[in-house]
Amino acid sequence: MSAYWSLFFDLTRRELRGKMSHSGTGWLWLMISPLLLLAVYGFVFGVIFAARVPEGLEVTFIAWLAVALWPWLAFADSVQQAALSMGQHRALLSKVALPRELLTLSSQAATFVVHAASYLLVLLVLQWLGNPLTWSGFGYLLLLLVLLQGLAAGLGLVLATVQVFFRDLKQILPILLMLWFFLTPILYAPDMLPVDMRGWLQGNPMTWWMDEIRAAMFAGKAWPDLATLGLLALAVGMLALGVALFKRMAPHFEDFL
Amino acid sequence: MSAPLLELTEVSKHYPKVGRSGARWAAFWGLLTQGAREVGNPVLAEISLAVSRRESLAIVGANGAGKSTLLKMISGVLQPSAGTIQRTGTMAALLELGAGFDPEYSGLDNLKMNAAMLGLSRRQVHDKLDDILAFADIGEAIHEPIKHYSSGMVVRQGFAVAAAVNPDLLITDEVLAVGDESFQKKCIRWIEGYLDQGGTLLMVSHNMYQVQKLCQKALWLEGGRARAYGDVFEVTQAYLAWHERRDAEAVSAGAERRACASYQVQSLSFPDVGEGEPTLEMGADLRVAMAVKAVDDRPPVVLLGVVRADGTPVYGVSSDFDEVALSIDEQGLCRLEVAFTELPLLPGGYAVRAHAMDPEGLRVHDTAELSFTVVGRSREMGLVRLSHRWMPQ
Repeated sequence: MSAYWSLFFDLTRRELRGKMSHSGTGWLWLMISPLLLLAVYGFVFGVIFAARVPEGLEVTFIAWLAVALWPWLAFADSVQQAALSMGQHRALLSKVALPRELLTLSSQAATFVVHAASYLLVLLVLQWLGNPLTWSGFGYLLLLLVLLQGLAAGLGLVLATVQVFFRDLKQILPILLMLWFFLTPILYAPDMLPVDMRGWLQGNPMTWWMDEIRAAMFAGKAWPDLATLGLLALAVGMLALGVALFKRMAPHFEDFL
Repeated sequence: MSAPLLELTEVSKHYPKVGRSGARWAAFWGLLTQGAREVGNPVLAEISLAVSRRESLAIVGANGAGKSTLLKMISGVLQPSAGTIQRTGTMAALLELGAGFDPEYSGLDNLKMNAAMLGLSRRQVHDKLDDILAFADIGEAIHEPIKHYSSGMVVRQGFAVAAAVNPDLLITDEVLAVGDESFQKKCIRWIEGYLDQGGTLLMVSHNMYQVQKLCQKALWLEGGRARAYGDVFEVTQAYLAWHERRDAEAVSAGAERRACASYQVQSLSFPDVGEGEPTLEMGADLRVAMAVKAVDDRPPVVLLGVVRADGTPVYGVSSDFDEVALSIDEQGLCRLEVAFTELPLLPGGYAVRAHAMDPEGLRVHDTAELSFTVVGRSREMGLVRLSHRWMPQ
């Protein structure tokens, strides 16, 4: 078991180093790109569109957006990386017998971790810019991120399995994720929608995560409650489904890659 | 006796048809609901074998016989379509040296990663690092990215990691054929040491000398089926004999037998050998019986020779060299037997060739050939055993 997890950490570290482009200054770019993105979103939505935050919040629109945007980026990007992981490691899969789920999980986790680090940086910058974030909810935020990571890992395993058999997923998945992004109240608040459409949003689990994340960082929600339990159930359920499907199909991957 | 390290029972493999996306969906659904099934192109059928501790096994066979597919299934990269594979003890498979190396990373990073993939924990890697580095013998270049390595260096590093794992069962696919002479020797020395210390080897090789040296048993695959399985000498000799015959057939396919030859070899047989493929122990006597048809009352000259199965002549002699007087019976046939005593042929595939010549011994009118196999536990090389003695000074 210890060899199993040490392989997981080694693989994850390798993925992380790959993201830093094998250069000593790679981490610098990992910091600069989220800040640039933050500036661009701030300009477009804060200045051009002058988007407004929901009633009663003392934060800028960009802070309101960023708090939910980075968790989404971590989720969507890591799911997409996980989905492509089997194809990327094809040469390895056909020659070395190793626990294949580790390849998917490590590429998913590495992507998630990079975005989570950017998220922390963005939160600090937002605070520095004078947005009143409620840091008392930070512990709860971390828990929410852990649950989101669980959901992403589970979904990543499912999609990695499907991708082996259904290669068009590579083209379809970005479109589906973009649709999902716009169906989730990240760029907009649910109360900006017509009343009869708001209920639909609650059918999207990502809405629950975003609501809780904003509650933690803007309303100081610090303790889990029934809503958290729902998220936990969803994350665990997705992870169980992903592991079960992957384990069942993984022995046959080599035939289809 | 303890349980075998590896046991295959009726293992078959079919590669699924994966051309159209509809077929891929069907395969996905089938695997999900029913598990592995025997659909698609068969590549291996009903392979059963057992590898016990200290009883190394070689898999031999022509290209495309399914050797690599079998190794992939044994190592767990591929799933069999039917049958079961039971493994006990630790196992390391070297299907390709350097598989899993990432060219962007340094040799040292790749080495640690590769060791982890072969199942070593971080602590074990740390403990064995000096040994691995010494074996790979790459020097300071270990800190350079792998993409700057020569292929020989990659191979050395790959083998060094596997050597460090020191598994109960080591699986290698033709990997000893790469690397330079001195590294190959190093690998062989390591494997011999590993076998001496109770290790077990499962190898695919085209080098029969190596196979006979390192293994006790062999499996000969042909067209996805086990053609022979058992003692390494018997199997490899049969395999080599088959190869030589196949080469000879390819050469002589064009030459047709003269239909209405005047002097004909009517029959050729081994009277001492029973039914089935003629097989002979090394050093036994070989008796050849033949009948040659004459055209008039003058006895023909008979030329008899032994060739290796690939057609290489070993020995030939004729009745007129030896001034043998032949006679013709009332059917116009000249019957005779020739006995080769204590045949010094080394194990392998051979054939007896009988030629019917005119009475003057000028022209060959007809040729007949009868193949046989010599078996024996010998690793001498060549065609015949030359009597010799060693005289250490």
